[in-house]
Amino acid sequence: MNFKRLCADFPIFGTKSVPKELVYLDSAATSQKPQAVIDALTAFYTHDNATVHRVVHDLGEQVTTKYEAVRQKVAQFIGAAHADEIVFTSGTTAGINMAAESWARANLQKGDEILITQAEHHANFLPWQRLAQQTGVTVRTITIHPERFVLGCTNPEHQQYDDGSYNYTEQADATEVVCAQAQCDYFDSLITPNTKLVAVSMYSNVLGNIWDEDYTLLKQLIERAHAQGAKVLLDVAQVIGHQPFNVQEFPADFVVFSAHKALGPTGLGVLYINRAVHNELVPYHVGGGMVYSVGATQSSWQKMPHMLEAGTPSIAAVIGFGAALDYMNETFDFELMAKHRASLCSALIGGLQQIDGVTILGNIKRLMRGGHIVQFSVAHHHAHDVASYLSMHGIAVRAGHHCAQPLMEVLGVEASVRVSIHAYNNVEDIERLLEVLRAAVRNE
Amino acid sequence: MNSLYQEHLLDHYRNSPYRGTVADADFVGDDHNPSCGDRVSLSGIITSDGIVATVRFIAHGCVLSQAAVSLLIELVQGKSVHEVLSYTSETMVSLVGIRLGPTRLKCALLCLQVLQDGVRGHLQHNQHQNKVVKD
Repeated sequence: MNFKRLCADFPIFGTKSVPKELVYLDSAATSQKPQAVIDALTAFYTHDNATVHRVVHDLGEQVTTKYEAVRQKVAQFIGAAHADEIVFTSGTTAGINMAAESWARANLQKGDEILITQAEHHANFLPWQRLAQQTGVTVRTITIHPERFVLGCTNPEHQQYDDGSYNYTEQADATEVVCAQAQCDYFDSLITPNTKLVAVSMYSNVLGNIWDEDYTLLKQLIERAHAQGAKVLLDVAQVIGHQPFNVQEFPADFVVFSAHKALGPTGLGVLYINRAVHNELVPYHVGGGMVYSVGATQSSWQKMPHMLEAGTPSIAAVIGFGAALDYMNETFDFELMAKHRASLCSALIGGLQQIDGVTILGNIKRLMRGGHIVQFSVAHHHAHDVASYLSMHGIAVRAGHHCAQPLMEVLGVEASVRVSIHAYNNVEDIERLLEVLRAAVRNE
Repeated sequence: MNSLYQEHLLDHYRNSPYRGTVADADFVGDDHNPSCGDRVSLSGIITSDGIVATVRFIAHGCVLSQAAVSLLIELVQGKSVHEVLSYTSETMVSLVGIRLGPTRLKCALLCLQVLQDGVRGHLQHNQHQNKVVKD
């Protein structure tokens, strides 16, 4: 995998002979698309355009076959046992809302508890808040340590060093200590007999990995939730396309992500629902495509996944995402990508630490080992001004609250700047960002 | 950030003569943009014949939001409340003098919303008072 040559696969960066002046560091918002995905979209509309499922003409039958083949590809990509566990949605937000309405609302009652974290994106916060307001379920949160930027364990006496030893009395550098056992104990205290759903993100769109290095804590949380009879929803929107993910390794009942953050077209996402949950689901939207038969007063529904895919789906986007999956399967080496990210993150964080007034929000040690999201603020310069200045120099970053207002409140920050890296970024992008940022702070 | 914003914007941001509060104000207003933390508070005097006489502001947030409020106050002092209520987003875009996308436009519009809400509130209060007196 040659990271410098990989850029050439993405036409938005121009060509070697005519490069474009775009330093794109906002992939956590949406990723850029390889030519193969763009070609797949064009080819679909040029040669294959027809609707799916309810057609008898050859064109429609062929498209239906291609559409369902992508469903199978998605299943394989995330290790799902069955293709009918893959529901196409319009994105992560739609997927979580679908889980809330088609499972949680039908199966939870007043007094039941939903456990989330303080670091959730609004998409994995608001559906549960609304459900709580409307049905009387209770939402509880796993806290985030405002200085360590990891979940749980706000007890300063419980500290585990990197060599595995514990010291229950000595204060250590808050940014370097992970409190593994105490975090497990803390999670246990939050899962009660009333807990019916644990809905958490695997990788924060603000802080990156808020679990532990190899996600042992997350696996343990899933196990503990299941032992209590609770279901688990896992938001992997910032994981797919960056690192390998297998739902057999993280056996959540619901998994959500967006195709457009994984090199696919916008307007498409995936909601994985384990087959064991299928008989607990009710339709989300009703109408064409999801119905088996319609009577004057009663109707019956298609089986999964079509029961949750009402209306004409985003067919072109699904076909395009198939091309994205092919591209990732053929091109991406996740181990090399982790090392690539580590080198870019190290360069970025090292450079940021040299600039007066810059504060990095995140577990620096963990980020430098291979994170792809780095958050920072600049003293005396509002995040919007910093981002606008960078934009003036062809650098795209995100600024604001990042759809995580509860988290920003915990961190005591109103707005920050986010740099997010993907495989098509190189050290030159990082160096350019640092150069321009230094100039901004020097007041040029 | 000197090269990001034109000189007049930076001057209003750094040296605005309109920072502060007005004692015995006829109207006050306050609002913030939760997506970025920009906050604007205004207080002002309106004469008996409906002229905006004095306005002062307290604000924090990005350069654009603070410069915009200073520019707006410079514009409105001496104008009638009806003219002030006729201002639109185009007024603010013209005042700040730079191209604004939808996100940054919100930074520039916050002060206009606060001012117009405050002035409108004062007008409605006066109309109510007049009605009470009449009755």
